[in-house]
Amino acid sequence: MKKVSVSEQGLVEKAKRHAAAVGVAMKESVTPLTATVFYPRERKKMPDNFRGYLLFDPEKCINCWECAFICPANAIQMKKAPAPNNRFYPTVDYGKCIFCHFCIDSCSGGALRTTKIHDVAYREMGEMLTLTEEMIEPPEIIREDKKSVEYEIEKDDLHLKRTREVDGLFVEPTPPVEIPMVSQCVDRASCLGCRVCEEVCESGAISSSSAEGVLEAEGVLRMKIDIEKCTGCGLCVKECSMQILRLVRRGK
Amino acid sequence: MAAVAAETTTGQSEWEVAVPEKPLKEKVYFENLKAQVIDTELCSRCLTCAAVCPALPEGITLTADDKVGFPDYEEKCLDCGACVRVCPRFEYEPKSGLGEYTDFIAGQSKRFKGQDGAMVTELIVSAIEMGLIDRGLFVGRDNRWATNIFHVRDPEQLAITTLGGTKYTFASVLPELKRAVLLTKSGVGVVGTPCIVSGVRKLQQEFPIFREKVKLVVGLFCTENFHHTEISDYLQKKGVDFSKLVKTDITMGKFIATMTNKTVKFKVKALEKILPSGCNVCTDFTAVEADASVGSVGSAAGFSTVAVRNENARRVVEFIKKRGYADFGEGKPEELAFLVGHKKKRAENIPGFQDQEDK
Ligand SMILES: Cc1cc2nc3c(=O)[nH]c(=O)nc-3n(C[C@H](O)[C@H](O)[C@H](O)COP(=O)(O)OP(=O)(O)OC[C@H]3O[C@@H](n4cnc5c(N)ncnc54)[C@H](O)[C@@H]3O)c2cc1C
Ligand code: SF4
Ligand code: SF4
Ligand code: SF4
Ligand code: SF4
Ligand code: SF4
Repeated sequence: MKKVSVSEQGLVEKAKRHAAAVGVAMKESVTPLTATVFYPRERKKMPDNFRGYLLFDPEKCINCWECAFICPANAIQMKKAPAPNNRFYPTVDYGKCIFCHFCIDSCSGGALRTTKIHDVAYREMGEMLTLTEEMIEPPEIIREDKKSVEYEIEKDDLHLKRTREVDGLFVEPTPPVEIPMVSQCVDRASCLGCRVCEEVCESGAISSSSAEGVLEAEGVLRMKIDIEKCTGCGLCVKECSMQILRLVRRGK
Repeated sequence: MAAVAAETTTGQSEWEVAVPEKPLKEKVYFENLKAQVIDTELCSRCLTCAAVCPALPEGITLTADDKVGFPDYEEKCLDCGACVRVCPRFEYEPKSGLGEYTDFIAGQSKRFKGQDGAMVTELIVSAIEMGLIDRGLFVGRDNRWATNIFHVRDPEQLAITTLGGTKYTFASVLPELKRAVLLTKSGVGVVGTPCIVSGVRKLQQEFPIFREKVKLVVGLFCTENFHHTEISDYLQKKGVDFSKLVKTDITMGKFIATMTNKTVKFKVKALEKILPSGCNVCTDFTAVEADASVGSVGSAAGFSTVAVRNENARRVVEFIKKRGYADFGEGKPEELAFLVGHKKKRAENIPGFQDQEDK
């Protein structure tokens, strides 16, 4: 076993170190250096990617449930919105949320976003279950802070930098990465010719030669997907009963 | 970026669908089907048309009287013609006889209990074990003996003892086959009466997904089948208690309903009144288009007769032999002669048949 021992120091070295320590003590008694943030009169400035209170935009939600599936703390439950909407939207139980923000990362519609709010007060546990409608607008905010504070390391020491400005609590959400997709037929011979795809396409991207007389004259139905018009919404893929349409990445 | 370019070549944006001819030019396809097959009482109730009809959920279904129909076709039919393309009786070419076979054998499974020798169950389960298919469609039943379809993926599911055995009631095998084909990875096995087998072949002829995914088609010998309401009403009148019913069988011209406490027997002839019109024009006894056909006549009691027709079925039988899963013996094709002939005569009931003969 190895024993830790005090390093051998000469008398001169010892005296030097004592003097430095006394120097710091004297300096602190004249200009004290505290690391305390005087919340709520001042607030710490948070980075834009701070994982705080969640906000939700139902307009952007595609009701995919991904946030609820991915939440490792099981804090997200989907609740059905009243008719005629009938869609399912997330609710967040802050009694469970561990602020990992996997939900935000998983949201392909960009409906969930972060804020720098980290100090919400609740009267009781039940209130921590935040309903969808409570997530659209931020909670009531009472701000008493006049300054914002940042930690800075200067000359090997931690300093507080105070600025007479109030830090914004909201950040612009990063838009979700869109992968351009286009609908294509992967098994032409299995097509029924039912034109359900044409019917459901809201962009008019699918057309067929079903006009009066044409079918009878030609004996074949011609189907066409206009890849310029196709927005890659996937409706046709969902509705094709033979499941022969696929969304594929749009080529360059 | 090479990968992206490759992905876009996995599909096509232009294609053509050959549309079938319409005898009634002004009418939608369903009305053509109705005029040619359903109203003429040729419809076998195989439900091939319902398997592909895209006008979901209101499309081709069973109507209240247990027949094939499309109540709101004038409004809802998409006029695609898929039903007409696949209906085996739209341009009906009646098949009959023993059909082609490479082996004609008798078999009795050592693993399973069934109607006869449980060779149907054995063939499907062995095909799953060989990896030829990942699921087989079985016709099960509820406690009123109405049929329902099961996807068997593991031999252990055969613990549901109602999956083997004959139900003398039509079953929605083919609509379920469509679902199975979309779900399967390696392939599907399907069991059915000759009319169902013909439906499978039509689906395979028309649509590649069925060609690629249906890997084993087992046909059953069949003289007739019944609508559920009609047969259950009749059986109840005969004193059959469904809660105690364990087996139904037709042998030697007798319908035998075996219950836990007693047995009810009567002549099949008595069922002529409720013989479905589609069966009345059906000439195929042995399912000539199947990969293997299985029945009761042609082998000793307790054995199933198996006519092995195609290579895939032959390989499954080889596998069963190698594993020692079943006892085998000789099948006697000559014993089928009466029923084969009996069904061949039904061609006389096909409308237009007489006219053709007269000419
Ligand atoms: C309606 C009908 C009529 C028949 N008529 C005759 C006949 O006249 N002469 C004859 O020799 N054999 C006939 N059979 C076949 C016979 O009854 C047995 O099914 C066959 O011998 C196989 O027995 P097994 O023990 O090998 O089958 P099992 O291993 O018991 O398996 C039976 C299989 O039949 C399927 N099945 C049961 N009922 C139906 C149904 N309604 N529709 C589709 N599939 C079903 C089940 O899914 C199961 O896979 C008929 C079968 C049916 C379904
Ligand atoms: S993906 Fe959407 S826009 Fe594109 S063809 Fe299909 S329905 Fe139309
Ligand atoms: S929905 Fe599917 S089957 Fe129908 S026309 Fe379109 S691609 Fe063909
Ligand atoms: S929608 Fe198509 S398959 Fe269905 S009934 Fe009409 S024509 Fe036939
Ligand atoms: S015979 Fe079969 S495919 Fe033809 S109409 Fe009847 S159920 Fe449909
Ligand atoms: S006799 Fe059998 S094969 Fe023929 S139509 Fe009736 S059920 Fe189908």
